[in-house]
This record gives sequence, C-alpha cells and structure tokens, in this order.
Amino acid sequence: MSAAVKYNGTLRGWAVDPAAGREGAAEAVVADGVLTALTWLSGSDAEGLSPDGVLILPGLMDIHAHFREPGNEDAETVATGLAAAAHGGFTTVALMPNTTPAIDEPSVVARIRAAAAASGSPVRTLIHGAVTVGRRGETLAALGELADAGVTGFSDDGSPVKSASIMRNALMYAGSLGLPIIDHPEDHTLTEGAEASEGYVATVLGLKGWPIAAEVGSVARSIALLTDVVRDVPGARLHLTHVSTAAALDQVLLARAAGLPVTCDVTPHHLGFTDEWIAGARRFAWDASGDPWADGALVAGPYDTSLRVNPPLRSPEDALACWAALADGTATAIATDHAPHTEVDKHVEFGWAINGISGIETALSLVLAGVAAGQLPLATAVAALTTGPASVLGERSPIAPGLRVGEPADLVVVDAGASWTVTAAALRSKGKNSPLLGRAVPGVVRLTLANGRVAYQA
Amino acid sequence: MTPGADRPDGVLPAPAAVPSPAPWAHRHLLDVDTLTRSEIELVMKTTDEMRDILTRPIPKVPALRGMAVTILFYEASTRTRVSFEVAAKNLSADVVNITASASSVSKGESLVDTIRTIEALGADMIVMRHSVSGAPYLAAEVFGGSILNGGDGWHAHPSQALLDLFTMRSRLPGGSLEGRKVVILGDVLHSRVARSNLWTLTAMGADVWICGPSTLLRGYEAWAAHGAAGRRFTLTSDVSAALKDADVLMALRIQKERMASGLLPSLREYAARYGLTQERLRAASPDVVVMHPGPMNEGVEIAADVAVDPRSVITDQVTNGVAVRMALLYLLAGTHHGKVGA
Repeated sequence: MSAAVKYNGTLRGWAVDPAAGREGAAEAVVADGVLTALTWLSGSDAEGLSPDGVLILPGLMDIHAHFREPGNEDAETVATGLAAAAHGGFTTVALMPNTTPAIDEPSVVARIRAAAAASGSPVRTLIHGAVTVGRRGETLAALGELADAGVTGFSDDGSPVKSASIMRNALMYAGSLGLPIIDHPEDHTLTEGAEASEGYVATVLGLKGWPIAAEVGSVARSIALLTDVVRDVPGARLHLTHVSTAAALDQVLLARAAGLPVTCDVTPHHLGFTDEWIAGARRFAWDASGDPWADGALVAGPYDTSLRVNPPLRSPEDALACWAALADGTATAIATDHAPHTEVDKHVEFGWAINGISGIETALSLVLAGVAAGQLPLATAVAALTTGPASVLGERSPIAPGLRVGEPADLVVVDAGASWTVTAAALRSKGKNSPLLGRAVPGVVRLTLANGRVAYQA
Repeated sequence: MTPGADRPDGVLPAPAAVPSPAPWAHRHLLDVDTLTRSEIELVMKTTDEMRDILTRPIPKVPALRGMAVTILFYEASTRTRVSFEVAAKNLSADVVNITASASSVSKGESLVDTIRTIEALGADMIVMRHSVSGAPYLAAEVFGGSILNGGDGWHAHPSQALLDLFTMRSRLPGGSLEGRKVVILGDVLHSRVARSNLWTLTAMGADVWICGPSTLLRGYEAWAAHGAAGRRFTLTSDVSAALKDADVLMALRIQKERMASGLLPSLREYAARYGLTQERLRAASPDVVVMHPGPMNEGVEIAADVAVDPRSVITDQVTNGVAVRMALLYLLAGTHHGKVGA
C-alpha cells in the first residue's frame, strides 16, 4: 500500500488545544502536511463556528487497543485496526500484548512494526510489552530487551498479574527502565465464571455476578505494592486501565492525593453504557435509572453479547463516577480497550461469548454525546483523548498532542453537529461487535491527519 | 363440557374463546417477566381445560396434529423433558427428542447452527433446556417458529413457575394468591425456579418471602431494593421469621457443588438450619401447602416425612406440569397462523 498523501488545505472550525489551554473559533492552514498557520477568530470572522459544530482537535491518542495480529487475524489485523483508528479520529494507538504469541520478546515487536509499515497508514503504532512470559504471571518477560525495542509500557492485560511478588518486581524493574506497568485490575478468585456486574440486573437475568470488590481489591493491592516500591525506585509508575467502579476510583483519588505516581483511564463504553443494556435498555448512562423493568426502558432483547466485556458494564452510579473522575483529574485518560472479535466468538450463548467491544470508531462519538449531555466540559474531554494519554506514557510518547504551527499537522476534524449511524458496513474494523449497531450517534469525523498525512477523509 | 368435544374433529376452540381480555400474543415463551396478570389467567384457564382432557379415558386431542415439536435439552432432566414430551403427544404433535450428548452438539456445533438445522428439519416449536442463562433468546433470534424455554441457567423456568402457581391456586382456599404468604426457601442464587416464581407470584399479588443463607441470597438484596418493577418481596436469612404463618412453603434443591465453592459449610449444617422439618412446619399456617420443584434431596432441604405429608403437593406439581405444558404448547401454537385449529 502506498504512503498516505500530505494534506494541503484550510480548515475552519471550533479548535480545542488542551496543550495550549485554549479553545475557540479558528482557521488552520495546512501546507504540504505542515500546520503553517492557526488563526484564532473573533467577531464576524467566527460566525457559525461553535463547540456544537465542526471541531478541530489534536489527533487522538489511544493507549489501550487490541489489533489481534499476530495470532487472530480473523478478528482484526494491524492494517484494519489502523484504518478503524483513523476513522475514529485517532492518530496514535498503543497495542496491547495479548496476541498469539504474546509480545513478550522483541521479535514480536518487530513483526507488528512491519505490519504497520506495510499498511501504509500514517497512524502511529505504539506497542506495549507483556509483563510476564506468555502473560502467564510466572516469570518476568524480557523487559529490558522490550524496552530497547521501544515498547511504551508493560501489561498482562486480560489476565492480571496474579502473584503480588511478581507484580512488585515488575513495578521495580519497569520503573528502573522508565516505563509504566499498565495494570488490568481484577482479582480472578472473585470473577471465575462471572458474566455481569453483581447487582440487580445480573440477578434478575440469572447471570453470575462480577463483584465490584474484584476491581477495588486489585487496585488497592497494586497501589500498596507501588507505595512499597517507589521509595527505592523513584521511576516506578503504575497505570490502572479500564477502571470501572466508583469505589476503585476512590482508591486512585486517595493514592494520587498522597503523591503516588498512579494514573488511570476509563473507557468510552463504561462512560456511555450501563448493565441496563444487557437487560435490553438502550439509554445512555446519564439517562439511566438503574431499574429498566420499572420504567419501560426495555426496548431491545436481553443478553446481547456485544455487551459482554471485561470489566463488565456497571451501574449508572459507577458510570457517572467515571465521568466525575475525568472532571476532577482522578482519571487522566479515556482509553478505548478496542477489542474486535469474530461473529463465531460472539454469536453464541451470553455466558460463552468472549469479552470485548469493538470501540475505537465510536469512542469520540460516545464522548461527544456525554459532553452534549453536560457530563464533561469539551476541553476536558479532548484532553482525556490527547494530552492525558500522552502524559501516561511520559517520555516514551512519540508525540505531544497539540495544534502547533510549524509542525506536521496531527489533527482531527469532527462535526459534532452531525450524526452517523453505526453499521457493520460503516465500521472499518473487522470487529462488528458494537452495542451501537443500528444507532445514530453524534460526531462525524471528516478528516484525520497523522503526521501531516491523510489517514482518513470522509 | 370438555373443550373441543362438541366438534367432530375434537380440535380445541381458538384461545380467543376463553373469556379473557388479552388473547395470547407471544410467539415464544422465554421468560415470565413480560406476562401480565391477565395473560397468566389465560394460562391458568387453559390449564383447567387441559386438566379435563387428562381425566378422559384416552387423554389425547388432535389440537397440535401436524405440528412438529423438537425437545432440545442441553442439560440432564427427567421430569421436565418427559412432561413436555407427554404434553406434546397428548396434543397429537409429532415429537422429536434431542439430547446434547446424542447429537452433533457434542462435536462442537454452535447453538445457532443447531437451531437452524432443527428448523430445516421442519420443527414448528422447540422446547429448550440450556445451562447458560439467556440461551433461548439466542435461539429465538434465529428460529422461525416458537421457542419454549424449558429452563435456562439460573435465569428462568417459565413452565415450572406456571405449574407451581396452578398447584397453589388449586390448594389455597378461594384459589387466589392475593396477600398469601409464599416462602421460597434455599438456594435462590442458582435457582431459575425462584426467579420465575418471583415474577408470577408478585404479579398475582402474593406476599413473597425469599429465605436462605446469606451466601445464597447474593444479588437479591439489590433486586428487593428495586422491587421488581414495583413488585415487592421480602428477603431474610431468618428461617423462623420466614416460616411464621406461611401459606405456601417451597423448598429448593441444594447441590453438593455449593460446598466446594465455599457457599455452605456442609449439607448437615444446611439441613439443621434451613431444612424443612415437621417441627419447623408448626410455625406455618396449619393448612400450609408444601412444595418442591424436584429433584429432592430428602433429609437435606426437606425431611422425608414432610415430603409425603398430606400437606405436600409435590406429586400434584408433577401431574399439573403436564397440563400446564399442554396449555403452553397450545397457546404458542395458536400464534402459528393457519397451522392450528383449522
């Protein structure tokens, strides 16, 4: 595939630049891929430009995605994943190491880099290495060699590091390499066979409850280990991914207030959806009551396996806590946990369906829907999709998201006033496992420029 | 007169002939949560008629002649499977039995493919039992006929709840559940029988109590707090409070696996604390109706002498099961336009 072309053109819209702490009506000029001018407009020049219309944002960054290559190319490839990312407005994507084989030594890193290069996509591919060999939680992976190969963090995502001792060593060793441990907080002894967040909906539907304590306990353990380690290894850093409960976010808030180097992200699906959806409700978290049987909210059939995800969709209170965590800075980033799956793995009984939501193309739309509903200021939401994730990666981030004149344009143009219908055909991802299929959502991406080149154009 | 007896072909009249404000409108019966009180009344009324048929010397009518009913069971079952089979045969349906171990299911065929295959083989209705909650909804999504849920995971067992209700009404003075204290005792966490009974009993105005060790009530606190669409029930681990003046006592089976997963210390301890004994029965109403969905662990959740007590209706439950299932098959068949009653 040939390399994407450099963009030339003038863009007008409501620009949001968290790096500069500024938003407003603006005109951006891109010449030969370089942002040559950014003019903030006022008065009659700004007429028709508003936060509800066309937005010009720094290219979005996702620090948690699954592109399934190598090993499960039926579900996604690096090429289709990058196309999906560009369609979703993302110009930088970090891939999780739960491939087959796992990314636990440098040759797998090289293989994924080669696939990304071959795709011709200008979207940057970052790679997280595994914490342990084969992600089995037993012995440390080749962390130093992986660091030399350029990985941006370490994670056994999907299966948490069970042994506290291994986890403690990993925090120390990765810390000395200047890289974060990206922790999937889940106490497996509480979640064996679990299907839906423990509570009302799971009980009525006869689904095995997924206790909140499984997340809170694991978060608390990791924070305790970090506390223990950081005295001797000041570079140690812990990033908790896809935190989904108010109680776990409380733990993160306390740890951050104590000055510990802890960050966390929340996902678009935990912001937008609740466990009510499994019963057949289709209202967003901010409109949910928590009792879909009582108020006639059941508009779809129950047990839609596109809603089966780890961690599970939670109560409306937990979803609102995720928004609040973004607002008060407890959560630094929104990460998609884009998890494409095949129909073979999803069109089965709910309890046997594989976990995961294909979400990188709908992430921005869900966030904009929440912003429109008043859950978060636009600038804060944009920061959580750009500068926030970059700060999690620290020095290893290949880009500082922002609208900077004189640098290659890395931006997304999205029309917040327009809507699109999510369909299997509209999704570039091979994974059609989206709970939003058939639904119109706000925010149509018109143009994605990565490193000055056209990654996606409507 | 028995319905259908006045017609030369013996076919039952259409369900609309039953005095009820709501004709049957459900193509599938997957759960009882969507059934209205009048729809439940229609099932009860139709079951009465089926009971009459069962008292005939030859308890067989041609109501479902030409209908192909497949009984697809992914879990072991004796009474439910045989009960459905007898019910379908009493209505003259053509019945095919499939058990998971004897089919290509054991070779890894997906549920969706299995349902499509059964449809291609000409099935009009599938009675389905599955270990995963919600599986019948997946089947209903791909099947052109009717799915009758014969029990899915922990979720629902519609025909059991309806036969339980029919049995209670036939025993309670006045035949009404309104204000009656009905206690469901035991492992409600893993029980589809408890969940379905909660919906039907609260729909009929019963005062439902759920009782068991706290480890086996997990999640029901949240359900009770929400009130099941405004329908209240009481949750307690105090067996004395639950049994006091109870009109109906339903004991649930305790499975040995519950000890391995640390939910209970031992069967002995469960029997001592929650087992339905003659002594405990004395706290209940003198005319208490004793029930069990089976299969029983005598000496654990129910004492042997309680199971055979005159107040026990456990064998009635089995008999009524055939009538209720005949009614359900008949009502569902009525939604297959042009195929039934013509």
